[in-house]
Amino acid sequence: MIIGVDVGPTGTDAVLLDGGGTGGVTGGSRALRAVRVPSLPGDAVGSLVAAVEALPRELRARASQLAVGLRVADRALAERAGLAHVGVLRIGGEAADTVRPLFGWPAELRDAVCAGTANVAGGGGLGPRDGAPLDRDAVARFGAELAGRAEAFAVCAVFAPADGTQEREAAGILRAEAGADVPVVLSGEIGSLGLLRRENATVLDAALCLLVARVADELTAALPLLGLAPGAAVLVTRHDGTLMSLDHLRRQPGLSLGSGPACTIRGAGLLGGVRDAVVADIGERRARVGALTAGYPQEAGPGGRIGGVPVSLRVPELLTVGAAAHRDLAEAVDRMQPAAGRLPVVLVGGGADSVPGRALPGCDVVRPEHGGVAGAFGAAASPVGGHHERIVRAGPGRRLDAVRDEVRDLARAGAVRAGADPRRVRTLLEPDLTVPYLPGALLLRARAFGPPLPL
Amino acid sequence: MREINLDNLDDIARGAGILGTGGGGDPYIGKLLAREAIRKHGPVRVVDIDEVAPDATVVPVSGMGAPTVLLERVPNGGEELAALRALEKHIGRAATHIAPIEVGGVNSMLPIACAAEAGLPIVDGDAMGRAFPEAQMVLPGLIGVTNSPMALADDKGNTIIVEAVDNHAAERIARAVCVELGCQISAADTVLRGDQLADGLVPATLTLAERLGAAVREARAAHSDPVAAARAMLAGVHLLTGKVVDVSRRTEGGFARGRARIEGIADEAGQVLELDFQNEHLLATRDGVTVATTPDLICVLDSESGDPVTTEGLRYGLRVSVLAARCDPRWTSPGGLALAGPRYFGYDVDYLPFGS
Repeated sequence: MIIGVDVGPTGTDAVLLDGGGTGGVTGGSRALRAVRVPSLPGDAVGSLVAAVEALPRELRARASQLAVGLRVADRALAERAGLAHVGVLRIGGEAADTVRPLFGWPAELRDAVCAGTANVAGGGGLGPRDGAPLDRDAVARFGAELAGRAEAFAVCAVFAPADGTQEREAAGILRAEAGADVPVVLSGEIGSLGLLRRENATVLDAALCLLVARVADELTAALPLLGLAPGAAVLVTRHDGTLMSLDHLRRQPGLSLGSGPACTIRGAGLLGGVRDAVVADIGERRARVGALTAGYPQEAGPGGRIGGVPVSLRVPELLTVGAAAHRDLAEAVDRMQPAAGRLPVVLVGGGADSVPGRALPGCDVVRPEHGGVAGAFGAAASPVGGHHERIVRAGPGRRLDAVRDEVRDLARAGAVRAGADPRRVRTLLEPDLTVPYLPGALLLRARAFGPPLPL
Repeated sequence: MREINLDNLDDIARGAGILGTGGGGDPYIGKLLAREAIRKHGPVRVVDIDEVAPDATVVPVSGMGAPTVLLERVPNGGEELAALRALEKHIGRAATHIAPIEVGGVNSMLPIACAAEAGLPIVDGDAMGRAFPEAQMVLPGLIGVTNSPMALADDKGNTIIVEAVDNHAAERIARAVCVELGCQISAADTVLRGDQLADGLVPATLTLAERLGAAVREARAAHSDPVAAARAMLAGVHLLTGKVVDVSRRTEGGFARGRARIEGIADEAGQVLELDFQNEHLLATRDGVTVATTPDLICVLDSESGDPVTTEGLRYGLRVSVLAARCDPRWTSPGGLALAGPRYFGYDVDYLPFGS
């Protein structure tokens, strides 16, 4: 059995699922119980404990997995609270000096986060020969200068997604100067090409890491209170509708941003028995409309922002309207439809019953049982995920299939790092994309999914 | 527009994005570079084509390569200046003016940054009137101006002078250099004398970009239709407003070909527009009938915001408005069509005269 929990702003939902729904398939999982308790303001773990304790003790004792949407990172960014002071190190040298780190951030968020920035010589290129050597002394000076002031570091080297060597080297130097236990977040482990957005995502991760570590500690300490089966796996939700371990959350807290809506969209699809749909989550005041594509939330296009910061994160595409504005809702649903009435519309959330079917003319409306706890259900029934992408240049003698296999393996490794059982990970190669103005270049992408590794 | 400053740069970038017809690279990074250069060196003086002295030396500068790489290895703005200096050294005289080689996309912005740094005025015009993918696709080629000598520079200080036998050869050499040097370089080429500008450049395109960007911005602020504002500014024709229901991308005969299917909505329900694209949007076919072709401009805009939708940004579910606008008439001459007509891009379709 699996317990899924969604800590919302007003209420915390918990569901208990039977079966092994973690493979990401629609069948196989049934919600046995669903409960809702009021959320404790500012205490995500307390809310979680209260919700889980509301489930029958004898059923809880058979739960081998707990999957939680905590939403602490989103709240911290919105409230600008609990964020670490971050030293931002860019490795790109003069060539990357025009657009300074934290450009375009909302001023008060930048002030809350920034402990200092530097840009040092180094960085890679599209090919192995296109890089420059790392200025280790400059890294050391920056580390020494911020020692005691920076609570975490974000390191972003040009082309780190292709080669993370210099970032790792810089991290070692920073730790030597500023303290071995200061968290150092590396951009190459976080995002793909696109320096500024990846750097921003890295800084957000660094800013969130202390808070998230505290919450992860609280959660770990609270586990014995929950009465789960011995050795039960604990996972948290991420923004692509998959899960990750607490350790992975500590490393990459930004992956949890936007995970609440992602889980709700995914849960709605699972509850409604559909893999492609428009999902409307009707809350008390607001309704959020997203889309489900092949069982996972449709991602927002490029140009996304979190907390006003341009980032390169795979957050779900969402439209938000007033919950009672049925016309706006119909408009948002239509906007998410690829063509009029083409996909079913799954209505979930506490306010789903207040939306009459006639408010969505021409739509095949699905109102699944337990739709009020779709977020918790989505958490419970999702696999651990990973993904990888890489630009390659096709040419004579270059075996694309071998590179595809490598990209697939790295996606698999990503899922394992996030806590998946290596023996049971399956991978999915996404269609190749061409790279504009770069003849023969392709962007290869793969995703991986698997059940968590039992403890 | 007598100068480009921090106040009108955003409008120019917005308009240039639309004139990129789905390609040309997002002007965003270029805008930040131009902003920084203007902040450091002051506004850039803009001169009309007919104000330029007949013996002036006008040098178009541009970035060449993959916008994906530009987004990762953000240039510092000095690369175009390095290409310019290498070219000046080679030809033995100093540039008196900078010009954009293309007004569409990021290459509208890089010459502004370069002009600010070089302390030179920029000519209000460009060699395409839109965006195209290859170096020989420029109007000066039709009046016998070669793109050689061409100076190329990378961000590490390497420079290369290309003296090629013809414009196509220069493109091939430059592309190979570009790939070898990391897929993002700067170029200064297609040097024009002042008295060649009227025949060689599309006039007043920076002004057009600024007005286009302003029209979209003002329409948004007034909660009126930004797409209609853009269409009016371009004297374009409406092709379809609808939803992207399918996007396919494949490589065929050396061309990275994409096709999108757009189904009409509201009072255009039932109509279907197929859009063929490579780096830019190149063909539009409505209900099986070709309705617009390159070198005319096919612009795909987000139907709500009026933001340009790039070829790589085309995706399922997007609501878009497609419009066509007339290219510079010189492009529709036999020589112009040989450079940038549909057959050059591998389509078995003849150029469809605009508005027919």
